[in-house]
Amino acid sequence: MTTAIQHRRSNAKVALIAFSMALGMLGLGYASVPLYRIFCQVTGYGGTTKRVDAAQAASIKDSGRTISIRFDANVARDMPWDFKPLQNTDTVSIGARDMALFWAKNTSDQTVTGTASFNVEPEQAAKYFNKIQCFCFTEQTLKPGEEVRMPVLYYVDPAFLDDPDNKDVQQITLSYTFHVTSIGDAKALDRDQSGG
Amino acid sequence: MATTADHFQAHSEEHAHDHKPGFFARWFMSTNHKDIGTMYLIFAIIAGIVGGAFSGMMRVELADPGIQYLDTFARWFGATNPDFNSTLHVWNVLITAHGLIMVFFMVMPAIIGGFGNWFVPIMIGAPDMAFPRMNNISFWLTVAGFISLLCSAFVPGGTGLGAGTGWTVYAPLSTTGSPGPAVDFGIFSLHLAGAGSIMGAINFITTIFNMRAPGMTIHKMPLFVWSVLVTAFLLLLALPVLAAAITMLLTDRNFGTTFFDPAGGGDPVLYQHLFWFFGHPEVYIMILPGFGIISQIVSTFSKKPVFGYLGMAYAMVAIGVVGFIVWAHHMYTSGLSVNTKMYFTAATMVIAVPTGVKIFSWIATMWGGSVSFKSPMVWALGFIFLFTVGGVTGVVLANGGVDDNLHDTYYVVAHFHYVLSLGAVTALFAAFYYWFPKMSGRMHSEFLAHLHFWVFFIGVNLIFFPMHFLGLQGMPRRYPDYAEAYALWNQVATDGYMIMAASIGIWFVNIAYAFVAGKKAEDNYWGEGATTLEWTLTSPPPFHQFETLPVIEESHHH
Amino acid sequence: MISGKIARAASQMAKAPGLFLASLTAAGIMAPQVALAAVAPEPAAAPAQAAAGSYTPMTPTPGIGMPVDGGIGFQQQFSKLGEYGEWIHNAVLLPIIGVISVFVLVLLLIIIVRYNRRANPVPSKTSHHTVLEVIWTLVPVLILVGIAIPSIDLLAKQYKPAPKDALTIKVTGNQWFWTYGYPDNGDFEVISNMLNLPGQPTINNGVREVGSEPWDGPSHLEVDNRMVVPVGEPIRLQITASDVIHSFAVPSLWFKLDAVPGRINEKVLVVEKPGVYYGQCSELCGAKHGYMPIAVEALPRDKYNAWVLTHAGGAIDGQKAAGSETDYLPGEQPAGEASEAPAAEAAAE
Repeated sequence: MTTAIQHRRSNAKVALIAFSMALGMLGLGYASVPLYRIFCQVTGYGGTTKRVDAAQAASIKDSGRTISIRFDANVARDMPWDFKPLQNTDTVSIGARDMALFWAKNTSDQTVTGTASFNVEPEQAAKYFNKIQCFCFTEQTLKPGEEVRMPVLYYVDPAFLDDPDNKDVQQITLSYTFHVTSIGDAKALDRDQSGG
Repeated sequence: MATTADHFQAHSEEHAHDHKPGFFARWFMSTNHKDIGTMYLIFAIIAGIVGGAFSGMMRVELADPGIQYLDTFARWFGATNPDFNSTLHVWNVLITAHGLIMVFFMVMPAIIGGFGNWFVPIMIGAPDMAFPRMNNISFWLTVAGFISLLCSAFVPGGTGLGAGTGWTVYAPLSTTGSPGPAVDFGIFSLHLAGAGSIMGAINFITTIFNMRAPGMTIHKMPLFVWSVLVTAFLLLLALPVLAAAITMLLTDRNFGTTFFDPAGGGDPVLYQHLFWFFGHPEVYIMILPGFGIISQIVSTFSKKPVFGYLGMAYAMVAIGVVGFIVWAHHMYTSGLSVNTKMYFTAATMVIAVPTGVKIFSWIATMWGGSVSFKSPMVWALGFIFLFTVGGVTGVVLANGGVDDNLHDTYYVVAHFHYVLSLGAVTALFAAFYYWFPKMSGRMHSEFLAHLHFWVFFIGVNLIFFPMHFLGLQGMPRRYPDYAEAYALWNQVATDGYMIMAASIGIWFVNIAYAFVAGKKAEDNYWGEGATTLEWTLTSPPPFHQFETLPVIEESHHH
Repeated sequence: MISGKIARAASQMAKAPGLFLASLTAAGIMAPQVALAAVAPEPAAAPAQAAAGSYTPMTPTPGIGMPVDGGIGFQQQFSKLGEYGEWIHNAVLLPIIGVISVFVLVLLLIIIVRYNRRANPVPSKTSHHTVLEVIWTLVPVLILVGIAIPSIDLLAKQYKPAPKDALTIKVTGNQWFWTYGYPDNGDFEVISNMLNLPGQPTINNGVREVGSEPWDGPSHLEVDNRMVVPVGEPIRLQITASDVIHSFAVPSLWFKLDAVPGRINEKVLVVEKPGVYYGQCSELCGAKHGYMPIAVEALPRDKYNAWVLTHAGGAIDGQKAAGSETDYLPGEQPAGEASEAPAAEAAAE
């Protein structure tokens, strides 16, 4: 019966290989979350903007060409805030730092902490859209009735001008949506912050 | 495939060690691939009746504009005085349950668990599956999954009882949009069925790689075995991704994670990517074994070997491989960038090439043959035509720019029912009539089988062909109610459903006839065209077959 | 008649340009501001001044911009891209798939007639034919390339970004209604609910039944407040959702784009002809998924402007509708002119 035993061993081997393939795919499934995030940050996929520090920003030269930027603000349904851009559009120099202001007001009678998600349209412009400072980097907390102005410090990378995918892009929209992180004294959920 | 199997005679039922265990041990603790296959088939029929009843409930509601029956259905599911929202919620529960049941608990158990279990070991000359006990676990996990899904219909799921998320379970409708345990039950159901299927896939891969009889090389395997092998790999690679995605849904729902929640930096579109990375291979999981079955049947009844055997085998491999890189054509309107859409448009159309190879190879197999139109062959011919119609509308939908109009309309419903309800299910009925006498030992009525085919063929075409018109006219899918202009073709589709339902009645009569009055099936009741190993065994085959392994002789053709 | 709803007619807010830097420096990122002014008076009714604006909903033409009884093809198209897409379908795809289906059917019929058991008792043993196999691999490839050329071209055209000065309209999907924001016209918002169906349970409270006004279109498709757009010019549609995923779809304009919470999706829409064009939510969004239709009314620019001015806060090129200055929401000043906004500074650190 040695052949039968060999058979069983070899069966176990094939099954083990197959099982590890399944396990590998399971791992890839989970890994897709951080991989997708990194992919979006690197390529601007899904309209993801870049996050840079002030030093990097300082090295960028003003190209002298301008582009129109539109600002858009939304709140999730359960978010009791008013949230607006303080300018709908702005014409900026490509490569020059600029600042946009958003305004938010807590219209509820409870302290509300929120986080903003964001994206850029048209999507192909996103990888050239750099944020140096943004209220979306951290959570924001507003007391009942409190209102606040929130700045975004950004620039459009001059490489934008050389990208054929962007030759027809005349206006870039930067959009934010505020979501509830916690309301009242409820402890904030353990939410994972996404980078810039 | 020429075989020499007459020199082993281990298939006598009177044979000393062909004893069967008692009823409970045989059916609940079964480790016999044929018994498990039978259980899968019975299970699939039961699930099919439930899923088919749900589609009947949908069709009567859709027969006329307005909401007529949903309130009654809500009461059936245990709602007392349902408000309008929970009445409408029943609709979403029906579409969700219909989709999940038909995919996970009808087609997959029948075509892989049922016919795969029954005939893969026999066709490769193996005494059983490689892991008989795991085979048993796979089956009972699938049953448990089905029960979990049924339970979900009776517990709160947001606006009403049951999970109303669609079989795609898109976040955030399935997370923040559906409080209550129903969606958790639904997700758990997919976990169970998925685990069962992964085990089944491992079992098939091991069996096919390791347990082939002497002389049965990979390139001599019958195409049905090839198709199950490719399918097993698709299951193995696709299902874990679904498992990961729905586990993340579960933790998003219950444990405060934000994988797909923009509030915490997640992205609902990522869920769609993960789901369709599984979901597109899934449609091939359902149809590839059907391809294999049709190849066997076409060859048998043409009395010719399969045309272009290697091309047929590797076309399935190609479909499987390409199936993994086209998923986002299900997401054309989700806001993909133009370059992404162009890539997926091109890649998706590539699949038409190996599919075309299969269609034309089947035709070439019949061409020059001496074709007898027994019931399995008639079903196979029906399959080839209906699958072609479903396939070409897939080419239309592959175009990202055209999909901007057709996405999520009845055109899509028509397309995937042509390839699944009229494709995979037709292949299942073809397989049923092909192998039923082999499995049961009793001949069915050929007259009833033909009648079943024609009534079914007319019924399903009446249901689904007008749906192309509805889709082109802009009727969105997953709607319980619609504008007056869509009334005509919806009425026709509902009439078609009644005809289709009648054909299922004919099928049950035929099964009853076979057991009551059917004559005893011979070993090879289809005659000279049937050359694979199952035809060398008795009908039904002995409880343990191939105790002496058959030897496959060299032959000049496949 | 015109409800002219202003969603979130909330607080008044004055801009203080000088404050920008102050807030930056004070808190690094942001500094809380004290509430500024009183709550705006709720606009009791739409300002009905003839000079300010006027609007009577257009009566839709039967069969235009909506499905037709028993129809079997696309709805008539009213955008250039729609005409192109329809051409690709009707002139390229449909003939090809029709011919392929009929070709397969004919081959099957030939087999049934010529190669049945009686007509051909002795089967051939042919199982290979290399030339044939190469042909049926290559010919489909060529056909697919032929399809891909116009198809990719259509995609490229669909994604051509809007020009800088295109009117931007913001579409938000909600369970189960749409809101349309007009940031370039004073940032007013239109809430659009489906009209109730006679003899059916109430779908939207406080909304009239379909057919109660002469301009009402088909049931299931008509809404109380349409999304009004100017005809013949590119419109930058920015689409998002406040809760779950919805999909903004108008078949006769060849337009469908998902509304995904937490992000905007953008696409250009050009309506070629004045008219009312109906669509329906096309992504499963919960119980009343079937009851949140879309009605797009395309008007010539002057009539569009008149419609804008019927809304409190409605503005054309920065000019507000008469009597609506009081309803002043942050961020509504015209493009690039933030510093010229009325600055009734009242804020303190």
